[in-house]
Amino acid sequence: MMSAAQRALRNDIVIGCILLALAVAAPFVVDSRFAITQTIVFFIWAMVTVQWNLVFGYAGIFSLAQMVIFAFGAYMTAVIGLELGWSVWAAAPVAAVGAVGFSLILGLACLRLTGAYVALLTLAVAQIAYVLIRTETLPLGGQSGMSRFGDLGFRPMLGADWYIGNYYVGLTLLTISIIFSIIVIRGPLGLAFQALRDSPGLARARGISRLKYQLWVFGATAFFTGLAGGFYAAHFRIVGPQILSLSLLLFMLAMVVIGGRGRVWGALIGTGVLLLTDELLREVAGDYRNLVLGLLIALFVMFMPQGIAGALSAGVDKVKNRLTRKRETPSSH
Amino acid sequence: MDTLNQILVTGLTLGAMYAMSTVGLSLVWGALGMLNLAHGVILAIGGYTAYWVIAQMGFPLVVGLFGAMAMGALLGVVMYFGIVRQMLKSKDFETNIIIATIGIAIALENLLLRGFGGSAIPQPIQFSGGFWIGMVYVPWQNAIILITAVVFMGLLAWFLQKSRHGRAIRATAQNRDAARLMGVDTGNVYIQVLALAGALAAISGIMLSSMTTLTPGMGADPMIKAFIICVVAGLGNVGAAAIAAFALGMIEAGAQFQFGSHLGFPTLLVIVIAVLIWRPYGLFGREEVERL
Repeated sequence: MMSAAQRALRNDIVIGCILLALAVAAPFVVDSRFAITQTIVFFIWAMVTVQWNLVFGYAGIFSLAQMVIFAFGAYMTAVIGLELGWSVWAAAPVAAVGAVGFSLILGLACLRLTGAYVALLTLAVAQIAYVLIRTETLPLGGQSGMSRFGDLGFRPMLGADWYIGNYYVGLTLLTISIIFSIIVIRGPLGLAFQALRDSPGLARARGISRLKYQLWVFGATAFFTGLAGGFYAAHFRIVGPQILSLSLLLFMLAMVVIGGRGRVWGALIGTGVLLLTDELLREVAGDYRNLVLGLLIALFVMFMPQGIAGALSAGVDKVKNRLTRKRETPSSH
Repeated sequence: MDTLNQILVTGLTLGAMYAMSTVGLSLVWGALGMLNLAHGVILAIGGYTAYWVIAQMGFPLVVGLFGAMAMGALLGVVMYFGIVRQMLKSKDFETNIIIATIGIAIALENLLLRGFGGSAIPQPIQFSGGFWIGMVYVPWQNAIILITAVVFMGLLAWFLQKSRHGRAIRATAQNRDAARLMGVDTGNVYIQVLALAGALAAISGIMLSSMTTLTPGMGADPMIKAFIICVVAGLGNVGAAAIAAFALGMIEAGAQFQFGSHLGFPTLLVIVIAVLIWRPYGLFGREEVERL
């Protein structure tokens, strides 16, 4: 017999392999350039929300810093590319390490705070960056952004199909990011957070330091978030301050919560559902797209307070219970 | 001395507008434990309602003011019956209501954009001219904003401190269960608080748009500032929020003068970060002992 934890890990691996196989096959089956490039956008935002889910859903830090860390990775990639002439392949990992450093400093400043205070401090940092870049106080291209720092280099190799190269790079990065998140969730770090959540007194008496583990998560997730930023820069070949806007930040937060905060596949589901809804509404609702999207977001949290992943797993449990009850009823009477 | 007075005039005006937009957010937070991210768009709707009533329907200014307040209050009530009532009892209310109000904000902003277009519209509630205090010129606009804010703050303070309804609101904010056991109809309190916050937001929307212009997204910036002020003052502490609003208005005005207008807001944020690192529970908040 497998333990519950082993069974959960096995389920994660099975789900992950199926999704990965589908994603690898997609460019061979789907002939729409638009669909593939939109999927790349999904990869980018999913990388951010998967890590955000670790910070917010597991470590319980109400941080709004994820987009500023993402922007740090994107801008640093651009600056290294422009100033040092490095290829983005070298610049993005360096930028990701830079993002870790930035995030740790931020973590040290804000992790003594709790709840809404953390949200405020991180939001303040994001807004400062937004205003300073937009007003060209920081020499980062102002409103129109930075460009001409190169791309992933698939254009000479693949010609018009360059975006398929980007697709597989994005898929690889997202896969690594998800594997990392599963390791964190199912590993000792996840257990520590579970302990801190379920019985804070006992956990602390056993010597589990909340601050230490929270700082660890803050730093580690920043690597993948910063890397996502670097990939964003390389894919779009431009970085502008709109990635720091409040509306995008809140939209991403909605993805995490609607998908299912603190659930392994929640962030991925939430990102997929909201991006797909947004895209469908473009066709259906036209000028009233945001009206419908906004109402849908409200309805989702009203009727699925545990997120879509939560509602799904509750549904699965219900079916399972019914099946086992049916089997047990005759023998118990 | 003159520059100091000039900063004082600007700072007091900013503070008055911030105070008006902050107290509503703080009230709702205190009584319901709800961070209302639709606050910004309600503020914008208040400004647009005044414009619609006065410039398009041709009613006098006062009707525009009260029309906007009624609209803000109505939105608060609709939000209560539409989403808050159903969600209050659910798990994770504090997070989920944030997302729900984000959704409402996106939807309502879309309606404003469709109804009035995206380009900036001047606010018809304007007062020209001004007067001199010593060497400093005070525009009527600024003076009236300040007076209006002080009057409404006074009324609000009286309402919260002295009236039956105000006591019920404060009791609910202090301890929801105890208030209910004492016979307070908390459902009623929530409706009143949301309506009150909506009406106050509408007024601040008129004030803000009279200093700049009406745009569908005009509420985002004041909402961020209101949120900052709320937290710096200590969550749910309405009186402190009003004081902090004036203080931050002065600081922003000073920084604008000292470092240039585009650096006023970043300076403010840096100060806020410093304050939070120094006092993690807000300037007027008290350290809460964590019970396990």
